Amino acid sequence: MKKIVKPLFGISIIFILMAFQSGDVLCNAKELKEKAKLYLEPYKYDSSELTRIMYKKKETIKEVEVPLFIGEKYRIVFELEALPKQVEVQIYNKDKDSKGRKLLFSSKDQGEKKEFLFEVSKTRHVYVDYVVPPTEDGSYSGCAVFMVGYK
Amino acid sequence: MTVNFFAISCVILTMALVSCNGNPDEQKNREELDGLDSTTTVSATTALTEENEVAYNLPSALQIAYVFKKSGAGFVPELLNNRSNSSKYNTSNYKRATNFGIYSADLAYCLFNKKYQESKEYLKSCKDIGSYLGLNQAFESDNMAQRFDKNIANEDSVVKIVSSVQLKADMMFEQNKQKHITVIAFAGAWTESMYIATQIYAKDKNKKVLVSLLEQLLLSETIIKALKSYKTSEPEIIDLIISIEKINAEFNAIASVKSAMEKDEEIDLNSISITDSELTTITKSVKTLRSKMID
Repeated sequence: MKKIVKPLFGISIIFILMAFQSGDVLCNAKELKEKAKLYLEPYKYDSSELTRIMYKKKETIKEVEVPLFIGEKYRIVFELEALPKQVEVQIYNKDKDSKGRKLLFSSKDQGEKKEFLFEVSKTRHVYVDYVVPPTEDGSYSGCAVFMVGYK
Repeated sequence: MTVNFFAISCVILTMALVSCNGNPDEQKNREELDGLDSTTTVSATTALTEENEVAYNLPSALQIAYVFKKSGAGFVPELLNNRSNSSKYNTSNYKRATNFGIYSADLAYCLFNKKYQESKEYLKSCKDIGSYLGLNQAFESDNMAQRFDKNIANEDSVVKIVSSVQLKADMMFEQNKQKHITVIAFAGAWTESMYIATQIYAKDKNKKVLVSLLEQLLLSETIIKALKSYKTSEPEIIDLIISIEKINAEFNAIASVKSAMEKDEEIDLNSISITDSELTTITKSVKTLRSKMID
Protein backbone atom coordinates (compact mmCIF):
# COMPACT_ATOMS: atom_id res chain seq x y z
CA MET A 1 0.00 0.00 0.00
CA LYS A 2 2.81 2.36 1.03
CA LYS A 3 4.41 1.66 -2.37
CA ILE A 4 1.42 3.27 -4.09
CA VAL A 5 0.71 6.09 -1.63
CA LYS A 6 4.11 7.80 -1.78
CA PRO A 7 4.32 8.19 -5.60
CA LEU A 8 0.64 9.19 -5.72
CA PHE A 9 1.30 11.87 -3.12
CA GLY A 10 4.26 13.11 -5.15
CA ILE A 11 2.26 13.18 -8.39
CA SER A 12 -0.59 15.08 -6.69
CA ILE A 13 1.86 17.73 -5.56
CA ILE A 14 3.23 17.98 -9.12
CA PHE A 15 -0.29 18.64 -10.43
CA ILE A 16 -0.95 21.26 -7.76
CA LEU A 17 2.31 23.02 -8.61
CA MET A 18 1.51 22.87 -12.32
CA ALA A 19 -1.84 24.52 -11.69
CA PHE A 20 -0.12 27.47 -10.03
CA GLN A 21 2.76 27.64 -12.52
CA SER A 22 3.28 31.20 -13.88
CA GLY A 23 1.14 32.64 -11.10
CA ASP A 24 -2.13 31.26 -12.51
CA VAL A 25 -5.29 32.05 -10.61
CA LEU A 26 -8.00 29.46 -11.01
CA CYS A 27 -11.49 30.82 -11.62
CA ASN A 28 -14.70 29.57 -13.15
CA ALA A 29 -14.84 31.98 -16.10
CA LYS A 30 -17.98 30.40 -17.52
CA GLU A 31 -19.97 30.76 -14.31
CA LEU A 32 -18.84 34.36 -13.74
CA LYS A 33 -19.64 35.43 -17.30
CA GLU A 34 -23.03 33.73 -17.22
CA LYS A 35 -23.87 35.67 -14.05
CA ALA A 36 -22.72 38.94 -15.61
CA LYS A 37 -24.85 38.23 -18.69
CA LEU A 38 -28.00 38.33 -16.51
CA TYR A 39 -27.47 42.06 -15.95
CA LEU A 40 -26.75 42.90 -19.60
CA GLU A 41 -30.31 42.83 -20.97
CA PRO A 42 -31.63 44.67 -23.00
CA TYR A 43 -28.15 45.41 -24.34
CA LYS A 44 -26.59 42.98 -26.83
CA TYR A 45 -23.46 41.08 -25.83
CA ASP A 46 -20.31 42.55 -27.34
CA SER A 47 -17.29 41.36 -25.36
CA SER A 48 -16.07 40.39 -21.91
CA GLU A 49 -12.86 40.35 -19.94
CA LEU A 50 -11.74 38.21 -17.06
CA THR A 51 -8.93 39.66 -14.98
CA ARG A 52 -6.90 37.49 -12.62
CA ILE A 53 -5.96 39.40 -9.51
CA MET A 54 -3.26 38.58 -6.98
CA TYR A 55 -3.19 40.68 -3.83
CA LYS A 56 0.27 41.90 -2.93
CA LYS A 57 1.94 43.74 -0.08
CA LYS A 58 1.52 47.04 -1.86
CA GLU A 59 -1.46 48.52 -3.71
CA THR A 60 -1.52 47.59 -7.38
CA ILE A 61 -3.63 48.60 -10.36
CA LYS A 62 -4.73 46.36 -13.18
CA GLU A 63 -6.03 48.34 -16.12
CA VAL A 64 -8.13 47.20 -19.06
CA GLU A 65 -8.45 49.45 -22.10
CA VAL A 66 -11.90 49.27 -23.70
CA PRO A 67 -12.27 50.86 -27.16
CA LEU A 68 -15.81 52.02 -27.99
CA PHE A 69 -17.57 53.58 -30.95
CA ILE A 70 -18.46 57.20 -30.33
CA GLY A 71 -22.21 57.83 -30.23
CA GLU A 72 -23.12 54.23 -29.39
CA LYS A 73 -24.72 53.36 -26.06
CA TYR A 74 -22.95 50.83 -23.88
CA ARG A 75 -23.54 49.01 -20.63
CA ILE A 76 -20.61 47.54 -18.69
CA VAL A 77 -21.56 44.92 -16.12
CA PHE A 78 -19.13 43.93 -13.35
CA GLU A 79 -19.14 40.60 -11.54
CA LEU A 80 -16.76 40.58 -8.57
CA GLU A 81 -18.09 37.56 -6.71
CA ALA A 82 -14.83 35.64 -7.18
CA LEU A 83 -12.72 38.21 -5.34
CA PRO A 84 -11.89 37.32 -1.73
CA LYS A 85 -11.29 40.96 -0.72
CA GLN A 86 -12.96 44.12 -1.95
CA VAL A 87 -11.31 45.73 -4.99
CA GLU A 88 -12.27 49.21 -6.09
CA VAL A 89 -13.32 49.55 -9.73
CA GLN A 90 -12.61 52.91 -11.28
CA ILE A 91 -13.45 53.91 -14.84
CA TYR A 92 -11.55 56.73 -16.55
CA ASN A 93 -11.61 58.49 -19.91
CA LYS A 94 -7.82 58.17 -20.30
CA ASP A 95 -5.21 55.59 -19.36
CA LYS A 96 -3.36 55.54 -16.06
CA ASP A 97 -0.29 57.19 -17.53
CA SER A 98 -2.19 60.24 -18.82
CA LYS A 99 -2.28 63.54 -17.05
CA GLY A 100 -5.63 65.11 -16.22
CA ARG A 101 -7.75 62.06 -16.74
CA LYS A 102 -11.34 62.16 -15.59
CA LEU A 103 -12.94 59.65 -13.23
CA LEU A 104 -16.24 58.53 -14.77
CA PHE A 105 -17.23 55.90 -12.23
CA SER A 106 -16.11 54.45 -8.91
CA SER A 107 -17.46 51.32 -7.25
CA LYS A 108 -17.00 53.02 -3.86
CA ASP A 109 -20.53 54.32 -4.31
CA GLN A 110 -21.79 50.74 -4.68
CA GLY A 111 -20.97 49.67 -1.11
CA GLU A 112 -20.35 45.94 -0.75
CA LYS A 113 -22.17 45.02 -3.97
CA LYS A 114 -20.53 42.27 -6.03
CA GLU A 115 -22.49 43.05 -9.18
CA PHE A 116 -23.03 46.52 -10.59
CA LEU A 117 -23.22 48.27 -13.92
CA PHE A 118 -22.13 51.45 -15.64
CA GLU A 119 -23.63 53.00 -18.78
CA VAL A 120 -21.70 55.20 -21.17
CA SER A 121 -21.94 56.82 -24.60
CA LYS A 122 -20.20 59.57 -26.58
CA THR A 123 -16.70 58.32 -25.92
CA ARG A 124 -14.12 56.31 -27.87
CA HIS A 125 -12.35 54.70 -24.94
CA VAL A 126 -12.83 53.90 -21.32
CA TYR A 127 -10.17 52.49 -19.01
CA VAL A 128 -11.27 50.09 -16.32
CA ASP A 129 -8.91 50.13 -13.34
CA TYR A 130 -9.03 47.50 -10.63
CA VAL A 131 -7.40 49.07 -7.59
CA VAL A 132 -6.14 46.09 -5.61
CA PRO A 133 -5.62 46.94 -1.93
CA PRO A 134 -2.43 45.85 -0.16
CA THR A 135 -2.60 42.80 2.03
CA GLU A 136 -0.22 41.66 4.75
CA ASP A 137 -2.12 38.68 6.05
CA GLY A 138 -1.46 35.76 3.73
CA SER A 139 -1.77 35.22 0.03
CA TYR A 140 -5.03 36.00 -1.74
CA SER A 141 -6.09 35.78 -5.35
CA GLY A 142 -9.31 35.91 -7.33
CA CYS A 143 -10.98 37.01 -10.54
CA ALA A 144 -13.01 39.97 -11.71
CA VAL A 145 -15.17 39.93 -14.81
CA PHE A 146 -16.77 42.68 -16.81
CA MET A 147 -19.02 42.37 -19.82
CA VAL A 148 -19.74 45.02 -22.44
CA GLY A 149 -23.10 45.30 -24.19
CA TYR A 150 -24.31 47.73 -26.87
CA LYS A 151 -27.78 49.00 -27.73
CA MET B 1 11.20 2.59 -4.20
CA THR B 2 13.28 5.09 -2.24
CA VAL B 3 14.97 6.09 -5.49
CA ASN B 4 11.57 6.62 -7.19
CA PHE B 5 10.30 8.81 -4.41
CA PHE B 6 13.56 10.73 -4.36
CA ALA B 7 13.26 11.30 -8.13
CA ILE B 8 9.68 12.56 -7.76
CA SER B 9 10.75 14.92 -4.97
CA CYS B 10 13.51 16.31 -7.20
CA VAL B 11 10.98 16.96 -9.99
CA ILE B 12 8.72 18.75 -7.50
CA LEU B 13 11.58 20.90 -6.23
CA THR B 14 12.68 21.78 -9.76
CA MET B 15 9.14 22.76 -10.76
CA ALA B 16 8.75 24.85 -7.64
CA LEU B 17 11.94 26.74 -8.46
CA VAL B 18 10.92 27.22 -12.11
CA SER B 19 7.48 28.46 -11.11
CA CYS B 20 9.07 31.22 -9.01
CA ASN B 21 10.49 32.74 -12.17
CA GLY B 22 7.28 32.37 -14.22
CA ASN B 23 7.11 31.73 -17.95
CA PRO B 24 10.19 33.26 -19.61
CA ASP B 25 8.17 34.42 -22.64
CA GLU B 26 5.57 36.14 -20.50
CA GLN B 27 8.34 37.67 -18.42
CA LYS B 28 9.98 39.00 -21.57
CA ASN B 29 6.66 40.40 -22.84
CA ARG B 30 6.07 42.12 -19.55
CA GLU B 31 9.55 43.62 -19.51
CA GLU B 32 9.07 44.97 -23.03
CA LEU B 33 5.71 46.46 -22.10
CA ASP B 34 7.21 48.03 -19.00
CA GLY B 35 9.87 49.51 -21.26
CA LEU B 36 7.18 51.10 -23.42
CA ASP B 37 5.41 52.46 -20.35
CA SER B 38 8.54 54.17 -19.10
CA THR B 39 8.56 56.55 -22.05
CA THR B 40 5.15 58.00 -21.25
CA THR B 41 4.34 60.87 -18.92
CA VAL B 42 4.20 60.53 -15.16
CA SER B 43 0.98 59.07 -13.90
CA ALA B 44 -1.67 60.99 -12.05
CA THR B 45 -2.44 57.85 -10.05
CA THR B 46 -0.61 57.30 -6.81
CA ALA B 47 -0.15 53.55 -6.82
CA LEU B 48 1.93 52.84 -9.90
CA THR B 49 4.51 50.09 -9.72
CA GLU B 50 6.17 47.85 -12.26
CA GLU B 51 3.58 45.19 -11.36
CA ASN B 52 0.70 47.21 -12.74
CA GLU B 53 -0.44 45.61 -15.94
CA VAL B 54 -2.62 46.64 -18.86
CA ALA B 55 -4.98 44.41 -20.82
CA TYR B 56 -7.15 45.14 -23.85
CA ASN B 57 -10.80 44.27 -24.37
CA LEU B 58 -11.58 44.28 -28.08
CA PRO B 59 -15.10 44.63 -29.53
CA SER B 60 -16.87 41.94 -31.53
CA ALA B 61 -17.14 41.64 -35.30
CA LEU B 62 -20.90 41.95 -34.82
CA GLN B 63 -20.60 45.37 -33.25
CA ILE B 64 -18.33 46.69 -35.99
CA ALA B 65 -20.83 45.52 -38.62
CA TYR B 66 -23.72 47.01 -36.63
CA VAL B 67 -22.04 50.43 -36.52
CA PHE B 68 -20.97 50.18 -40.18
CA LYS B 69 -24.51 49.37 -41.30
CA LYS B 70 -25.70 52.65 -39.76
CA SER B 71 -23.55 54.49 -42.31
CA GLY B 72 -25.92 53.36 -45.02
CA ALA B 73 -23.35 51.19 -46.79
CA GLY B 74 -24.89 48.69 -49.19
CA PHE B 75 -24.36 44.95 -49.53
CA VAL B 76 -21.73 43.84 -52.06
CA PRO B 77 -21.51 40.02 -51.96
CA GLU B 78 -18.37 39.96 -54.17
CA LEU B 79 -16.40 41.48 -51.29
CA LEU B 80 -16.91 38.49 -48.99
CA ASN B 81 -14.28 35.79 -48.64
CA ASN B 82 -15.37 32.71 -50.57
CA ARG B 83 -16.78 30.08 -48.22
CA SER B 84 -15.15 27.27 -50.18
CA ASN B 85 -11.77 28.53 -48.94
CA SER B 86 -12.47 27.46 -45.36
CA SER B 87 -10.92 24.00 -45.73
CA LYS B 88 -7.53 25.42 -46.72
CA TYR B 89 -7.07 27.35 -43.49
CA ASN B 90 -6.48 24.36 -41.23
CA THR B 91 -2.71 24.78 -41.43
CA SER B 92 -1.73 26.76 -38.33
CA ASN B 93 -3.35 28.39 -35.31
CA TYR B 94 -2.68 31.77 -36.87
CA LYS B 95 -4.38 30.87 -40.16
CA ARG B 96 -7.34 29.32 -38.36
CA ALA B 97 -7.74 32.33 -36.04
CA THR B 98 -7.45 35.09 -38.67
CA ASN B 99 -9.90 33.38 -40.99
CA PHE B 100 -12.28 32.62 -38.14
CA GLY B 101 -12.29 36.40 -37.65
CA ILE B 102 -12.70 37.08 -41.36
CA TYR B 103 -15.70 34.76 -41.67
CA SER B 104 -17.17 36.25 -38.46
CA ALA B 105 -16.98 39.70 -40.05
CA ASP B 106 -18.60 38.38 -43.25
CA LEU B 107 -21.34 36.72 -41.20
CA ALA B 108 -21.99 39.97 -39.30
CA TYR B 109 -22.03 41.99 -42.55
CA CYS B 110 -24.61 39.60 -44.05
CA LEU B 111 -26.66 39.61 -40.87
CA PHE B 112 -27.06 43.39 -40.61
CA ASN B 113 -27.90 43.56 -44.31
CA LYS B 114 -30.71 41.06 -43.73
CA LYS B 115 -29.10 38.44 -45.96
CA TYR B 116 -30.21 35.59 -43.77
CA GLN B 117 -29.49 32.66 -46.09
CA GLU B 118 -25.93 33.96 -46.61
CA SER B 119 -25.66 34.51 -42.85
CA LYS B 120 -26.54 30.88 -42.28
CA GLU B 121 -23.85 29.79 -44.74
CA TYR B 122 -21.18 32.01 -43.18
CA LEU B 123 -22.19 30.78 -39.74
CA LYS B 124 -21.44 27.29 -41.07
CA SER B 125 -17.99 28.49 -42.25
CA CYS B 126 -17.33 29.94 -38.77
CA LYS B 127 -18.42 26.65 -37.26
CA ASP B 128 -16.08 24.69 -39.57
CA ILE B 129 -13.02 26.78 -38.71
CA GLY B 130 -14.20 27.03 -35.08
CA SER B 131 -14.07 23.25 -34.86
CA TYR B 132 -10.33 23.36 -35.74
CA LEU B 133 -9.92 25.81 -32.84
CA GLY B 134 -11.78 23.59 -30.38
CA LEU B 135 -15.03 25.58 -30.44
CA ASN B 136 -17.45 22.76 -31.33
CA GLN B 137 -19.44 23.19 -28.14
CA ALA B 138 -19.97 26.89 -28.76
CA PHE B 139 -21.73 26.14 -32.05
CA GLU B 140 -23.58 23.02 -31.01
CA SER B 141 -25.09 23.93 -27.65
CA ASP B 142 -28.69 25.05 -27.10
CA ASN B 143 -29.84 23.76 -30.51
CA MET B 144 -28.21 26.76 -32.09
CA ALA B 145 -28.70 25.65 -35.72
CA GLN B 146 -32.40 24.87 -35.22
CA ARG B 147 -33.02 28.14 -33.40
CA PHE B 148 -31.25 30.01 -36.19
CA ASP B 149 -33.47 28.33 -38.82
CA LYS B 150 -36.61 28.99 -36.82
CA ASN B 151 -35.84 32.71 -36.39
CA ILE B 152 -34.12 33.29 -39.72
CA ALA B 153 -36.26 36.27 -40.76
CA ASN B 154 -36.10 38.01 -37.39
CA GLU B 155 -32.98 40.17 -37.19
CA ASP B 156 -33.13 40.73 -33.44
CA SER B 157 -33.46 37.04 -32.64
CA VAL B 158 -30.75 35.99 -35.08
CA VAL B 159 -28.35 38.63 -33.75
CA LYS B 160 -29.03 37.36 -30.21
CA ILE B 161 -28.27 33.80 -31.31
CA VAL B 162 -24.99 34.80 -32.95
CA SER B 163 -24.07 36.97 -29.91
CA SER B 164 -24.64 33.98 -27.70
CA VAL B 165 -22.29 31.88 -29.88
CA GLN B 166 -19.74 34.70 -29.55
CA LEU B 167 -20.04 34.67 -25.76
CA LYS B 168 -19.62 30.89 -25.65
CA ALA B 169 -16.58 31.08 -27.96
CA ASP B 170 -15.07 33.78 -25.70
CA MET B 171 -15.62 31.58 -22.66
CA MET B 172 -14.05 28.57 -24.36
CA PHE B 173 -10.98 30.52 -25.46
CA GLU B 174 -10.64 31.73 -21.86
CA GLN B 175 -11.08 28.21 -20.49
CA ASN B 176 -8.54 26.76 -22.95
CA LYS B 177 -6.03 29.54 -22.16
CA GLN B 178 -6.16 30.74 -25.77
CA LYS B 179 -6.78 34.42 -25.15
CA HIS B 180 -4.22 35.28 -27.84
CA ILE B 181 -6.41 33.49 -30.41
CA THR B 182 -9.27 35.93 -29.71
CA VAL B 183 -6.90 38.85 -30.38
CA ILE B 184 -5.67 37.34 -33.67
CA ALA B 185 -9.26 36.52 -34.67
CA PHE B 186 -10.29 40.10 -33.97
CA ALA B 187 -7.40 41.37 -36.11
CA GLY B 188 -8.82 39.19 -38.92
CA ALA B 189 -12.35 40.51 -38.38
CA TRP B 190 -11.12 44.10 -38.30
CA THR B 191 -9.13 43.64 -41.52
CA GLU B 192 -12.17 42.16 -43.30
CA SER B 193 -14.44 44.99 -42.07
CA MET B 194 -11.84 47.54 -43.16
CA TYR B 195 -11.56 45.83 -46.54
CA ILE B 196 -15.34 45.94 -47.07
CA ALA B 197 -15.53 49.59 -45.94
CA THR B 198 -12.62 50.82 -48.08
CA GLN B 199 -13.94 49.02 -51.18
CA ILE B 200 -17.47 50.34 -50.71
CA TYR B 201 -16.21 53.88 -50.16
CA ALA B 202 -13.98 53.69 -53.26
CA LYS B 203 -17.09 52.88 -55.27
CA ASP B 204 -19.77 55.13 -53.70
CA LYS B 205 -17.78 58.00 -52.10
CA ASN B 206 -20.43 58.17 -49.39
CA LYS B 207 -19.26 60.55 -46.63
CA LYS B 208 -21.00 58.54 -43.88
CA VAL B 209 -19.19 55.40 -45.01
CA LEU B 210 -15.92 57.32 -44.84
CA VAL B 211 -16.63 58.43 -41.27
CA SER B 212 -17.46 54.86 -40.27
CA LEU B 213 -14.31 53.61 -41.99
CA LEU B 214 -12.18 56.14 -40.11
CA GLU B 215 -13.88 55.16 -36.87
CA GLN B 216 -12.78 51.56 -37.51
CA LEU B 217 -9.26 52.77 -38.30
CA LEU B 218 -9.03 54.24 -34.81
CA LEU B 219 -9.16 50.70 -33.44
CA SER B 220 -5.81 49.87 -35.05
CA GLU B 221 -3.80 51.29 -32.16
CA THR B 222 -5.53 49.13 -29.55
CA ILE B 223 -5.20 46.04 -31.78
CA ILE B 224 -1.45 46.65 -32.07
CA LYS B 225 -1.08 46.99 -28.30
CA ALA B 226 -3.15 43.84 -27.71
CA LEU B 227 -1.12 41.86 -30.27
CA LYS B 228 2.14 43.07 -28.71
CA SER B 229 1.14 41.58 -25.38
CA TYR B 230 0.98 38.16 -27.08
CA LYS B 231 3.77 38.58 -29.59
CA THR B 232 5.58 35.38 -28.67
CA SER B 233 2.43 33.24 -28.73
CA GLU B 234 2.42 32.53 -32.48
CA PRO B 235 5.33 33.07 -34.92
CA GLU B 236 3.23 35.06 -37.43
CA ILE B 237 2.13 37.73 -34.91
CA ILE B 238 5.18 39.95 -35.48
CA ASP B 239 4.40 40.26 -39.21
CA LEU B 240 0.78 41.00 -38.42
CA ILE B 241 1.81 43.78 -36.02
CA ILE B 242 4.07 45.28 -38.70
CA SER B 243 1.23 45.28 -41.26
CA ILE B 244 -1.26 46.93 -38.89
CA GLU B 245 1.37 49.43 -37.73
CA LYS B 246 1.82 50.43 -41.37
CA ILE B 247 -1.92 51.10 -41.75
CA ASN B 248 -1.94 52.97 -38.43
CA ALA B 249 1.01 55.14 -39.52
CA GLU B 250 -0.77 55.97 -42.80
CA PHE B 251 -3.83 57.03 -40.83
CA ASN B 252 -1.78 59.10 -38.39
CA ALA B 253 -0.06 60.82 -41.32
CA ILE B 254 -3.35 62.43 -42.44
CA ALA B 255 -2.82 66.13 -41.71
CA SER B 256 -5.97 66.70 -39.62
CA VAL B 257 -5.40 63.49 -37.62
CA LYS B 258 -1.80 64.50 -36.98
CA SER B 259 -2.85 67.95 -35.83
CA ALA B 260 -5.54 66.60 -33.45
CA MET B 261 -3.04 64.14 -31.98
CA GLU B 262 -0.44 66.83 -31.41
CA LYS B 263 -3.02 68.87 -29.50
CA ASP B 264 -4.18 65.75 -27.61
CA GLU B 265 -7.74 66.41 -28.83
CA GLU B 266 -10.53 64.00 -29.69
CA ILE B 267 -10.57 63.65 -33.49
CA ASP B 268 -13.79 64.94 -35.09
CA LEU B 269 -14.20 62.46 -37.93
CA ASN B 270 -17.17 64.34 -39.43
CA SER B 271 -15.03 67.34 -40.27
CA ILE B 272 -11.86 65.52 -41.21
CA SER B 273 -10.40 66.25 -44.63
CA ILE B 274 -8.66 63.41 -46.38
CA THR B 275 -7.18 63.36 -49.85
CA ASP B 276 -7.85 60.64 -52.43
CA SER B 277 -4.17 59.78 -52.37
CA GLU B 278 -4.14 59.31 -48.56
CA LEU B 279 -7.16 57.06 -48.76
CA THR B 280 -5.79 55.07 -51.68
CA THR B 281 -2.63 54.33 -49.69
CA ILE B 282 -4.68 52.99 -46.76
CA THR B 283 -6.98 51.03 -49.10
CA LYS B 284 -3.99 49.34 -50.74
CA SER B 285 -2.39 48.40 -47.42
CA VAL B 286 -5.66 46.93 -46.13
CA LYS B 287 -6.11 44.94 -49.33
CA THR B 288 -2.55 43.58 -49.12
CA LEU B 289 -3.01 42.49 -45.50
CA ARG B 290 -6.36 40.87 -46.26
CA SER B 291 -4.87 38.99 -49.26
CA LYS B 292 -2.08 37.65 -47.04
CA MET B 293 -4.67 36.43 -44.57
CA ILE B 294 -7.02 34.68 -46.98
CA ASP B 295 -4.51 33.21 -49.46
